[in-house]
Amino acid sequence: MNSLINGEFNPSQNTLNEDFALLTKALDAAISGIILTDNRLPDNPIIYCNKAFELISGYNRDEIIGHNCRFLQKEDRDQKEREALRNAIKNGTDCVVDIRNYRKDGTLFYNELFMSPVKDENGNVNYFIGVQNDVTGRKKAELSLQHQKDVMEQRIEDRTKGLKESEDYLASIVQTVRESLIVLDPNFRVLSANDHFLKTFKVTKSDTEGKLLYDLGNGQWNIPALKELLENILPSNNPVEEFEVEHDFPYIGKKLMLLNAHRIELEGQYKNRILIAIEDITERREIERRKDDFLSIASHELKTPLTTIKGLVQMMQKIVPPEVGDKFKSVLNKTGMYIDRLNNLITELLDVSRIQTGNIELHKENFDFDKIVHETVEAIQVATNSHKLIIEGSTNEQILADESHIIQVINNLLSNAIKYSPDNKIITVYLSKVSDFIKFSLKDEGMGIKQEDHKKIFERFYRVGEIQQRFPGMGIGLYICDQIVKNHGGTLWVESEPGKGSTFNFTLPCTKTL
Amino acid sequence: MVKNKTILICDDDEGILDMLEIVLEGSGYDTIPIKNSLSLYEAIEREHPDLLLLDLWMPVLTGDQVLKTLRKNLETKELPVIVISASRDGEQIAMNAGANDFMAKPFDLDLLLKKVQQYIIN
Repeated sequence: MNSLINGEFNPSQNTLNEDFALLTKALDAAISGIILTDNRLPDNPIIYCNKAFELISGYNRDEIIGHNCRFLQKEDRDQKEREALRNAIKNGTDCVVDIRNYRKDGTLFYNELFMSPVKDENGNVNYFIGVQNDVTGRKKAELSLQHQKDVMEQRIEDRTKGLKESEDYLASIVQTVRESLIVLDPNFRVLSANDHFLKTFKVTKSDTEGKLLYDLGNGQWNIPALKELLENILPSNNPVEEFEVEHDFPYIGKKLMLLNAHRIELEGQYKNRILIAIEDITERREIERRKDDFLSIASHELKTPLTTIKGLVQMMQKIVPPEVGDKFKSVLNKTGMYIDRLNNLITELLDVSRIQTGNIELHKENFDFDKIVHETVEAIQVATNSHKLIIEGSTNEQILADESHIIQVINNLLSNAIKYSPDNKIITVYLSKVSDFIKFSLKDEGMGIKQEDHKKIFERFYRVGEIQQRFPGMGIGLYICDQIVKNHGGTLWVESEPGKGSTFNFTLPCTKTL
Repeated sequence: MVKNKTILICDDDEGILDMLEIVLEGSGYDTIPIKNSLSLYEAIEREHPDLLLLDLWMPVLTGDQVLKTLRKNLETKELPVIVISASRDGEQIAMNAGANDFMAKPFDLDLLLKKVQQYIIN
């Protein structure tokens, strides 16, 4: 290596052959493919390639020399990197590209191509040197990374779109719902109000959002009792249910509003917000009132002629001559019974309406429960020849209750027992005290009730299917009894099996003071 | 001959008036039916009844309005009045207005006659 001085070649005539062989060996030992093209010849053909280039491309030297480099791209000519190469060749400048090349066997490899012009002393580009590295591994990793990134971005985009859609979807529900909704922050400032709220109260968003709830309108929600309940929502999580606000609202006048308020059960940015739903029940309440009025009037008007009929029939019973015989008297008695039944039906209709609208009024007073039971049972016994009514036990309790309602319950249960046990004669009432409740049990030996009907018989207008023809009725007696007992803080239930009779029980608390 | 006791019956329903006349006269009372509550005061002044049977729901002047006026008037303050009504809350209204007793329509004749007798004797 005589010509290599201080790391630089200094070839001389003597050392030229030796140096050339050495450099060729060095080129063949390189792991990068190296080619030389002659820019002065047409189509810039390859005039030299090293071993590594043969290895990378899979072609033999004799298949390479004389070809333009593009043979490595096979049919894949539409690559933007080619444009960069063309420009570099045209301008005689350096250039680095990652270009898709194909081996002789057709397999793809990514070629990191470094191209550099070799100029003569006049600046003409005579040759190009191309250095190639197979970067398929790196390129694939890059591409796969890029792909992952694209997939990720797409996913994020989809997710964001989905979220936006679901938000729009929920917002459209909130906007469409026929109930006024507002959301408050923990300091009772309105964060948002839906369209129905704005329409109902004839206000704008700017009248509402950002304002304190208590400052809205003419202070319609500034009610101490409501304030206290609302302030309790966040610390205790006790919702406000069905709070009625009757108020002369600005723009819409006197209205009755029903208000529900809940804490929004979310963590994060929506934590500690309060959702208020407001329903205008002015009309509904008015319709209920009119229905009640109508039923009161109807029942009053029906009872008036019934009073006359009852009086006249009783008068007939008084003045009937002794010689007319029992048949006539029995007909009169039956007429009287059916008048009473009609009267009960009218009363029940009115009761049902009142119970439904929650207008059942209790006039509670202290009375001797056992005495009332005895009196009621005796009164029914007088009118009943078919059954024997027996009372066993006692409560020895004074109870605080609405006497007429309790009598109504006992009467109803007794007449049911008589009605539904036509073939059995004995009906027994058991009275007892259980803890701080009195218990009334009424046992008949009638047809019994199937398990599946035990709850349903207390529902409004429910009739056990097969009995309707034998025992007509409206299906409201037990419903009324159940509601009355419930209103007194007791329970009413039945124990029964088909064919084994029924026992109806009710309990009432022994509270004595108001 | 002892004069029969007189009972004034004030109800806007003719059926009730008819029936009560038959029933009460059958039990030896004289009855005066009044269909229009507006003419009741005049009838009381004229007839000096021993008892008044009074309906609640009547057009123009209701039973409880009548009753309140009667209770304010010295001459009629003590007149026994039994209110007869088919309204569910009739008893409360009647007792608040100053009735001596209340009977829900439809009522039992024997119970009515018993009460009538009780107030007339007292």
